[in-house]
Amino acid sequence: MTETLLATLVSGVVLGSLYALMASGLSVVWTTLGVFNFAHGALMMFGAYIAWTVSEAAGLGLPAGILAGTAGAAFAGVVIERLLVRPFYGNRNMLLVTVMTTLAAMIILEKGAQIIWGARLKQLPRLIDGEVSLLGVAISAHEAILLVLAPAVLIAIWRFTVLTNTGRSLRAVGQNQDSAALIGINVPVAFALAFGLSAALAGLTGALLGSIRFITPSMGAEPLVKAMIVVIFGGLGSLGATAGAAYIIGIIEALLILWLGLYWTPFVLFLLMIVVLVFRPNGIFGGRE
Amino acid sequence: MGRLLDVRDLFAGYGPIDVLRGISIHLDAGENIGLFGPNGHGKTTLLQTISGLVRPTSGTITFNGADITTAQPPKIVEAGLVQSPQGNTMFGEMRVQETLELAAFSRRARGKRNDNLRRVFGLFPRLQERGNQRSKTLSGGERQMLSIGAALMCEPGLLMMDEPTLGLSPRLKEELSEAIGKIASDGVPLIVVEQDIEFLLRAADRLYLIEHGEAVQEIDRANAPDHAEIMELYFGKAGA
Ligand SMILES: Nc1ncnc2c1ncn2[C@@H]1O[C@H](COP(=O)(O)OP(=O)(O)O)[C@@H](O)[C@H]1O
Ligand SMILES: [Mg+2]
Repeated sequence: MTETLLATLVSGVVLGSLYALMASGLSVVWTTLGVFNFAHGALMMFGAYIAWTVSEAAGLGLPAGILAGTAGAAFAGVVIERLLVRPFYGNRNMLLVTVMTTLAAMIILEKGAQIIWGARLKQLPRLIDGEVSLLGVAISAHEAILLVLAPAVLIAIWRFTVLTNTGRSLRAVGQNQDSAALIGINVPVAFALAFGLSAALAGLTGALLGSIRFITPSMGAEPLVKAMIVVIFGGLGSLGATAGAAYIIGIIEALLILWLGLYWTPFVLFLLMIVVLVFRPNGIFGGRE
Repeated sequence: MGRLLDVRDLFAGYGPIDVLRGISIHLDAGENIGLFGPNGHGKTTLLQTISGLVRPTSGTITFNGADITTAQPPKIVEAGLVQSPQGNTMFGEMRVQETLELAAFSRRARGKRNDNLRRVFGLFPRLQERGNQRSKTLSGGERQMLSIGAALMCEPGLLMMDEPTLGLSPRLKEELSEAIGKIASDGVPLIVVEQDIEFLLRAADRLYLIEHGEAVQEIDRANAPDHAEIMELYFGKAGA
């Protein structure tokens, strides 16, 4: 019994690592631009396909593939910002308009992937073969790398936003655009940067997930929904709250799968999200305002 | 003596109706100017337009001989034209020192960051004490100090301040007005918007009365009418 519980916890933390990478990307764009990017899951998928193309089709190896997937998604993110989001800054209905334009971006990316890469399932190899024992539970070495890599990347981004001028400028723009402009920060550049950084996180997640699940044009849909639940659960604010919520949701999901099975798990997760929205609209870590 | 800032026949606003209706003001090297006038007549809009946050519909703005009429805000800051805006709360979640360091963002200010930080802390010791505090926890006076401090971190060649003592207690007002005097005597040219004429007469060499988006009166301190006359000019017209 304790063994299954431990195994469930470990798989929950693995899930949580993926959600943390996805959700913090979503939250970077939200806190900087006030845009909810529905193409975030599709960017993840795009990163996975680019990684596959570089690693498998071109035969350059998985590390090169992961780098290319991350960079490719970042580039696609900047293009989406430029073409589908920037024209609507200052628009009174910007939030609503960008819901539609980022949904359009999602559909374009998904259809595009289908046309370019076809319908056949693809998969990436693992970074390392073999298994590692964690708390007496055997997990693949690839998942173990994920466990370490996700927090490392998030801590690096957090330090970037706290310590560097460029990182600080992203936070400043999210809090007060006019004040940011008046101290010489180029607001559109900061927006593009936030979008690129966010998309890079999505692409990285996709490239890592491509070794665990099959790569398909619609593979981003479920992670996007999970990232939304995480972001609502943790409150849109600090990276730390988002990451913490990601791990909690990952563990809850793993436990629900164990106790209720796959069928009822999404239902209960959404119920939980609604309960949080009702009682703690700013998330479990957010203040009550 | 060069002309530092020249605003000519400027029209600007937020929608179909212009708030600024052909306003012209200027500032020569070596002088400070003050803007006053009733609320809602376009003083803030003028500064926002000069800073590039509001787009003019016609007219020209020249700074240091360069046309900046359609320049973007970062370009204008990079040229040395800096504003401490009205009621500015800056970045609520950011810490005070972090905010000041970030304000040295432009290329022009980057190299002087540490010198300017020392200068700001010398001027406002309270900001140093509160260095680690988030800006949203500051009092009104401290926020104003932070806003002016951030503007100084931009290494201004001309500093515009929009109602720096608005809503402050008399004691704090005194403290800020002293600091503003020090900034001026350090050689930073100033444009100050204020309701307090006493304050303006001390800080500025020339005053403009702004009404209905125009500079309707220019007052030179050297041959200024006496104080009572200015008050009458102001309240007489504003009340009319
Ligand atoms: N952001 C804005 N959007 C629309 N109208 C505005 C805005 N800011 C100011 N106004 C209007 O412009 C006019 C001038 O305002 P303002 O420049 O703030 O005057 P002042 O600084 O002299 O008090 C006012 O009628 C005000 O209502
Ligand atoms: Mg005003």
